[in-house]
Amino acid sequence: MLNKNKFTLATFSIIIGIFISTQIKANVEDYVPVTIRSIENTKVEIEDFKRDIDELKKIIEAKEEELIVLENIAKGDENIIDVLRGDLRSNMITSGYVKLEGPGISIKMYDNPDNEIVGFDINDDIIHDSDVLNILNDLRVAGAEAISINGQRVMPTSEIKCHGPIIRINDRSIGTPFIISAIGDPQLLMASVNAPDTYGDILKNVYFIGFEPKIEDKVTIPAYRGDFTFNYAKPKGEGDI
Amino acid sequence: MVVALIGILIGGVIGFLLPYTYNTAYSLYITIAILACLDSVFGGVRANLENKFNIKVFLSGFFGNSILAAFLAYIGDRLGVPLYYAAIFTFGGRLFDNFAAIRRLVLFKNKSI
Repeated sequence: MLNKNKFTLATFSIIIGIFISTQIKANVEDYVPVTIRSIENTKVEIEDFKRDIDELKKIIEAKEEELIVLENIAKGDENIIDVLRGDLRSNMITSGYVKLEGPGISIKMYDNPDNEIVGFDINDDIIHDSDVLNILNDLRVAGAEAISINGQRVMPTSEIKCHGPIIRINDRSIGTPFIISAIGDPQLLMASVNAPDTYGDILKNVYFIGFEPKIEDKVTIPAYRGDFTFNYAKPKGEGDI
Repeated sequence: MVVALIGILIGGVIGFLLPYTYNTAYSLYITIAILACLDSVFGGVRANLENKFNIKVFLSGFFGNSILAAFLAYIGDRLGVPLYYAAIFTFGGRLFDNFAAIRRLVLFKNKSI
């Protein structure tokens, strides 16, 4: 009788063991309040806050410098017109009304030139607005300071929209090949579109779409030729940062 | 006691070697069921040491408890109330009670308590 009991216990223990090890194999990460991942997320958040604080400190420094300039103007050491001209110039540069030049990359993109098509769908072989948008986003992540496509400055408000065989940007139509130029750290920009597994790399090596990034010592980005008119947006406050 | 531990170890090895896994969505229910089963086995070990082991009680407890616990977890999930806490507290508490009784039984096997 005792042996039979032990046998039953052992059998059911084995069943539990099987369940437990299957559960461990399933590798569930939920139902744990503090995981290493959550700690890391918190760490990233803290670093973000620290970066915010640093930026705010920089703003304070800039404001203090401005204050010194204003004090000098009040004392009569500096001419207010020169200061305002300097301001105007820097505002023009940030708003995109000035032609810019600097090191960067240029990317030539065109439809798959081969006779043979890649997928079931002919759409896989042509460039779409979304491809261009993804590349632009990658460039911005890599810290591009100014971007243009076929001589059109890419502004924060620029649309990039499919219009059949062409795309529209800044209300103007442009056709392939698209030449995207960007000013920034050339190595970083190049890596952002050319490194394995980036969107550009997939376009080039999976879909065989023409994609030729090239590092250039001197890229010229034209000025924005439109104008800003805000019909709905109204300034709030007194221009505080 | 030793039988149960060896059994769990053997089962663990078998489970690792078997290629079967289940959907991770059910893992909560399985966990609760495992707890209930563990409690039953510990209770069975204790009853065995006390010579009160009854296979009917053990089997009904093993399956009934685990199914009830998994069912509670499921209902709790549906209702949005963590009802599986009830199972965790009951079976967890009883697990330690049983283990305490087993310890005393094993340690003072040859002496009168």
